[in-house]
Amino acid sequence: MNIEVIDYDSCSAAGNNLAELRQSLTRYKSGLIRNCLPGSDIDTWIGKVSAADDINDLGEWQSRNNALAALGYEQGTLRNTTSALMAKYGAARIGLIMGSSTSSIDRTETAYTDLAEDGGLKPDFRQSRVHNPHAPSLFMAHLTGIKGPSLTINTACSSSAKVFVTAARWLEYGVVDAVLVGGVDTLCLSVLHGFNSLQLLSPNPCKPFDHFRDGINLGEASGFAVLQRGQESTNGTGIKLTGYGESSDAHHMSHPHPDGLGARKSMTQALTRGALEPDAIDYINLHGTSSRANDLIEGSLIADLFPKTTRSSSTKAWMGHTLGAAGITEAIITLDTLQTDLIPGSMNLDTLDEALDFTIDADNQHKRCEHVMTNSFGFGGNNCTLLFSREA
Amino acid sequence: MTDSVKQSKPLQCKVVSTGAWGGYFESYTALQQLFAGGELPEKKQKGPKPAIIPANERRRAPLPVRLAVESSWQAAQKAEVTPDALTCVFVSGFGDTDLTDYMCKVLASDNKELSPTKFHNSVHNAAAGYWTISTDTMRAANSVAGYQESVSLTLFEAMVQCEYEDSPMLVTFYDAPVSEILKPLLPNDEAFAFSLVLYPASSDLPGTLLTANVNSNDTCDWPELACSNDYIQGLYRTNPSARVLCLAESLEQPTGASRALTLPLSAGSTLSLTFS
Repeated sequence: MNIEVIDYDSCSAAGNNLAELRQSLTRYKSGLIRNCLPGSDIDTWIGKVSAADDINDLGEWQSRNNALAALGYEQGTLRNTTSALMAKYGAARIGLIMGSSTSSIDRTETAYTDLAEDGGLKPDFRQSRVHNPHAPSLFMAHLTGIKGPSLTINTACSSSAKVFVTAARWLEYGVVDAVLVGGVDTLCLSVLHGFNSLQLLSPNPCKPFDHFRDGINLGEASGFAVLQRGQESTNGTGIKLTGYGESSDAHHMSHPHPDGLGARKSMTQALTRGALEPDAIDYINLHGTSSRANDLIEGSLIADLFPKTTRSSSTKAWMGHTLGAAGITEAIITLDTLQTDLIPGSMNLDTLDEALDFTIDADNQHKRCEHVMTNSFGFGGNNCTLLFSREA
Repeated sequence: MTDSVKQSKPLQCKVVSTGAWGGYFESYTALQQLFAGGELPEKKQKGPKPAIIPANERRRAPLPVRLAVESSWQAAQKAEVTPDALTCVFVSGFGDTDLTDYMCKVLASDNKELSPTKFHNSVHNAAAGYWTISTDTMRAANSVAGYQESVSLTLFEAMVQCEYEDSPMLVTFYDAPVSEILKPLLPNDEAFAFSLVLYPASSDLPGTLLTANVNSNDTCDWPELACSNDYIQGLYRTNPSARVLCLAESLEQPTGASRALTLPLSAGSTLSLTFS
């Protein structure tokens, strides 16, 4: 497998773009705030992207999710990079793969609060291309002009990790010459009240892997990466996707497998595909939601599979758990360590869970990494691990 | 930049078995009878009750999940393969609009308390979740969406995965009737599911060899169905997953007959299929 990351950018509560995210990481500054979502009185903290509030000119495409996708795509050099590839290869030879869990349900929620007298949708909300699970890709194809195959992956919180895997296969097979992969998910009442019904939300800023962690914080984000076959790129980052793993827990819709069997499979597959031993991995960005169950199971697996020289952290205390966008948000944080030589710490970690014993620290660390990994686990027991490496 | 049609190298796999469920057919055999001009049964079924889902889970499983699991189970059984050997891809064009409707109504009211079971069932990968849990499948399970191109995109995705990963695949297309408020936008009134078990072309198993090409800089409409049954025609027009009926029809024609189809794939590409 020879897939190169050509460009990438990220938009979350920790920064509207990669430059701001790097600053937040370096300065150890969280974007979490007390829940202020209109219509929600839940006592929790959220990672909100306020700049998305101002994007209201999308017409028939309007939704908060699409606004956040549009905002994310304007960051850094994403548009230039994508346009140049479309000009070089033709728009039909560029693929588009988006990951999301909410798609645009935020818009459906809003529509239901303002129904017409006959109980139907008011004209502004009659948006068939918005009220469906493929909405993120339909919108991004419209916005970018990409005309190649465009697919939306909706596997809950692993969605936008899996976009890298599908893109790698399309590129290796040769059906496209480049792929824009992305992830976008929006804070809305469905997710806040849904996670609240499962008693998973914390009234405090989340503390992944801490002994006294008491739940998760939700966030919203969009992120994009442009991928090409390595031998064909001319201006890439030199960072390669060198492995991936995909597995299922076969256990429960919303509880992880108690022994982490699915997650173990996903991580070992990624190592096998990358032909690497565990001790070659410098850094792992963990799924680390700050829920009691996830962190205990994931942390135990890391202790079992990796040596103490492998350093891990969860970065969810910077922008919250961004659900369908978490995969790409954390993939970007992970692969960016190969550019910045900065391993982010596990923010808010005070006392490591007494049942756990692996290398995780609250502080950032400067280190030149060669191979880095990231985990994403979703409802339905859906797991994905990505492995990125510096060009040999 | 070139605008001439560019064809990718062909993808190949073997269709080893199928499963199907609709209001007027409970199996692929019953669907074939409708293709052959058979009469519709008197009674229309609302939804299947797949025996593979444990009873206590089945009661909580929403209709789209039961549709998907039923046809998947049929296809796996017919292929005589243990389900846990199959990597899977599930697709629904419109998703579970009954649960969307439930959540949006509750959230528009004063008491915003959601049912935790309904919330976790509302994820688009609920069908993949129930399937892997019911069959103890720990392989990769994907759950995708492609709106009106759900069938062609998912078939393409599954064939790439089958060939590149050299793995047998289960691919399941399913869509349930749309809830009242969203129905004017997503006008589907029919329950439908269809599954294919695909093996790499080199497999010794008996089956139809399916060859696919992606044609870039090409566009087309969905092909006409040969079957003139009004119910089947309506299903094909309105249920995004039922677009797979054009493939289902082609699968069963006698060997030697000309069997080729071209499907719309994206704004600038098509997927052409040949069966042998």
